[in-house]
Amino acid sequence: MATDKTNLQLVVNGILNENPIFRLVLSMCPAVGISTTVMNGFMLGIAVLFVQVFSSCTISLFKNVIHPRIRIPTYTLTIATWVTVIDMVLAAYLPEAYAKMGIFIKLIVAFAIITMRLEMFACKESVTASFWDGIGMGLGFMAGMMSLGLVRELLGMGTILGYDVLGFKPLLFFVLPFAGFFCVGLMMAFFNYIELAYKRAKRA
Amino acid sequence: MKDIFTIILRLTISCLLAGLVMGAAFVLTNNAKKHNAHMHEQKVSQSLLGYSATNPPPATLAMHEVYRYIVTASGSQGMGYLVPSKDGEGKFTFVTLDLDGKFQAQTTVTIAPEKTAEESERTRAIAAVLGVDKALRYADQTIVVTDNGKRTAYLLPGKFPGFKTFISVILALDSKFTIIGLEVMEHEEDPGLGAEIVQKYFKNQFKGKGIDKVKTLEVVKTPLPDDYRQALEGDGKITADQVTAIQAQYQDKDIYALTGATISSRSVTNGVKGMVQKFAYRLGLLDRALIEQHIATPF
Repeated sequence: MATDKTNLQLVVNGILNENPIFRLVLSMCPAVGISTTVMNGFMLGIAVLFVQVFSSCTISLFKNVIHPRIRIPTYTLTIATWVTVIDMVLAAYLPEAYAKMGIFIKLIVAFAIITMRLEMFACKESVTASFWDGIGMGLGFMAGMMSLGLVRELLGMGTILGYDVLGFKPLLFFVLPFAGFFCVGLMMAFFNYIELAYKRAKRA
Repeated sequence: MKDIFTIILRLTISCLLAGLVMGAAFVLTNNAKKHNAHMHEQKVSQSLLGYSATNPPPATLAMHEVYRYIVTASGSQGMGYLVPSKDGEGKFTFVTLDLDGKFQAQTTVTIAPEKTAEESERTRAIAAVLGVDKALRYADQTIVVTDNGKRTAYLLPGKFPGFKTFISVILALDSKFTIIGLEVMEHEEDPGLGAEIVQKYFKNQFKGKGIDKVKTLEVVKTPLPDDYRQALEGDGKITADQVTAIQAQYQDKDIYALTGATISSRSVTNGVKGMVQKFAYRLGLLDRALIEQHIATPF
């Protein structure tokens, strides 16, 4: 079964129609726990993007030799391998960035979004399609994390990317972990509302 | 039943493949990683001594590394120190002391300068000179910092048990064994609790503690006073003079424990305590041996 979408559609699909955070509601732990600032969201997004693309391509490449009964262990193994490789490469060549991102990268092994994309997409599609789907999902995750981070950083600390824009701290509540649930919920409702409004306008 | 064998076979192959990829990545990145760690260590050492990019160390400043070994020979144990010799680079004297600190032997060792930092190469060179009947085990290293030939400070990289695994630190002492700085290099304490040992308001508490105070250093479970915290953080809200005044005021006080991480605080305090005391004792013995045997060193 091959996908009938073009490469561009695959990327856009990952960012909008099937956004990992707001539409697929996957990988909620990092979305709630780490999205306190825009920078955190960006860092984790980059890391997820790389792992997703590499894992998708690998699984798609080997899809015919993976035994169906052990596909989930194989996915986990693939993800863990790529996470380790990226971790080592970053530690060796970008020590400054690694000092900030190090703890996030190791977490990625457990992210639901990557395993789910391998199961739903990469194990059925061609390498090219999986590559673009990986890019789309990674970007979608990054966009979701960054928009959450933007809201939480602005409302919680009054800053964006560390720059003071409001001059005061509106509600400390938003940087606390549990506020992540409220933020995700509210933003999900907002995006659903936009979709509804768009469909209604289209119909009319 | 047939399935199970193919599953086992395929899983094994995938694991081997994954291992190969990770191994290759490790081999390719390991050198760069080591280089980074070394650079980081040097940067930390300099900052502990009070130097930075804007305030570079003077040209008269020199660092001499002393490596300590445990020497076992036919049932008796002793300490071996690899001390740089005055004759120039690459020349070392290996001084062996028994457990009571009495001088036993000295031998000259020549190691190429670029090989000195590599533990296995260095140990092999010493073992070749010592002979086969003695077993060597590397213990630790000390960096003696000299300015114009006079000792100004000691840098002690060290390791001690923390709450979970080992905490490795670099401790800087001045020539009278007063702590001038502590930097945590590696640790695996809990984030938000024990991991706070890397924060300035904890590690800077050790600054300025003399050896007499360190010997009786304890951990107290009272909250950190606000003025002390400000002085320790040193974020520019108060002047440097005030910081020195507050530091002096708290110099004889014990270490204030981190909230929720008493064990980590206690581990670091005891670790530092042990490092300073043992170092002062060992250096005294080594110095005595060096003077008695007229072994010339650059420090």
